[in-house]
Amino acid sequence: MAALTGTMSWFCCGNSWGPCGTAGHGACGTCNSGSYQHAWPNASAACFNITRPDTCGISMTRRGCGFRHYTTNRCNGKRIGTTIADCGPQTDLWCGERACCGSVCGTNRIVDLTPAAYSQIASLSSGLQPCSVDSV
Amino acid sequence: MTENLDRRRLLTNAVVGSAALAGATALGSLAPEAAFAAPGEQAVEPGAPDPNFAEGRITGISAGMLFVTGSDLALWRIRITGGTSIWKLRPTTFDQVAVGDGLYARGLRLPDGTLAADSVWVNIVNVHAHIAAIGRNLLHLDHKGKRIVGHLVPGTSAARYNNTPAVSDMSMLRVGKHVQVIGAWVPDTNEVEIATVYAAA
Repeated sequence: MAALTGTMSWFCCGNSWGPCGTAGHGACGTCNSGSYQHAWPNASAACFNITRPDTCGISMTRRGCGFRHYTTNRCNGKRIGTTIADCGPQTDLWCGERACCGSVCGTNRIVDLTPAAYSQIASLSSGLQPCSVDSV
Repeated sequence: MTENLDRRRLLTNAVVGSAALAGATALGSLAPEAAFAAPGEQAVEPGAPDPNFAEGRITGISAGMLFVTGSDLALWRIRITGGTSIWKLRPTTFDQVAVGDGLYARGLRLPDGTLAADSVWVNIVNVHAHIAAIGRNLLHLDHKGKRIVGHLVPGTSAARYNNTPAVSDMSMLRVGKHVQVIGAWVPDTNEVEIATVYAAA
């Protein structure tokens, strides 16, 4: 898979507090906020039918639970390896949305990281960052 | 890994030798945007829990230490140093942290089992929701079938409309539209104070 560029955010899963308290362990049943994991919009056919990245013009390889991706924060070059633990983000709700830092921009939501993973490469308060995702 | 070990030694020495740790060190700033992992080797396997990351609710505060019970019932002692960045709706200070708050923290585990925190995000939530209603300085959000009340905080809350610069103008928000909200949960309620709303233009 060639590196896919877009934007990344974060989500909570597993046991948690506040609005995250009802999040559950994700579509794969293994998701925890403190682990290096992520949500992928094409984690299954059922998942794809919800997230529909194709409606934003994105061709995204189907990868199942446990598959390993590497996400790079294009604002600072920092990179994290994580495994698929949930379905998401719902890419089709945000077609064309961009996030930039300086002249570096990403368009369309392609990955959500757990707080542990996201905070390793960006501040949780940043919310949305341009990124690239690959499998090696 | 070498850098991590060096940082661990530095933090250990700083904690043992001083109550405060300078915000910038020979290894670089410990501010949030600068404190994340250095490029290169990843010490934690993909899919595995990160021992340098904590989440949970604060059960006690004492002498620069946060006592936290994780949602998985793990017990954490999180050490706040002079170099720790703290976010609670906005960048803030240790005295604004309270028992009952939820948190995520990133730092380094020290030999005594404490987590020397680089960054602590207090009550932070990242909610994906639909706008159910809009009131004066309020957004009523539908989040997975449950209602969340989002408070707009004058001087703090901002909106980003598809990569526009953050603005205080919320007039482009519409009932029925989806949004992403970064905010601070008000403990034991269904309310959040809004830092940033991301919305489609």
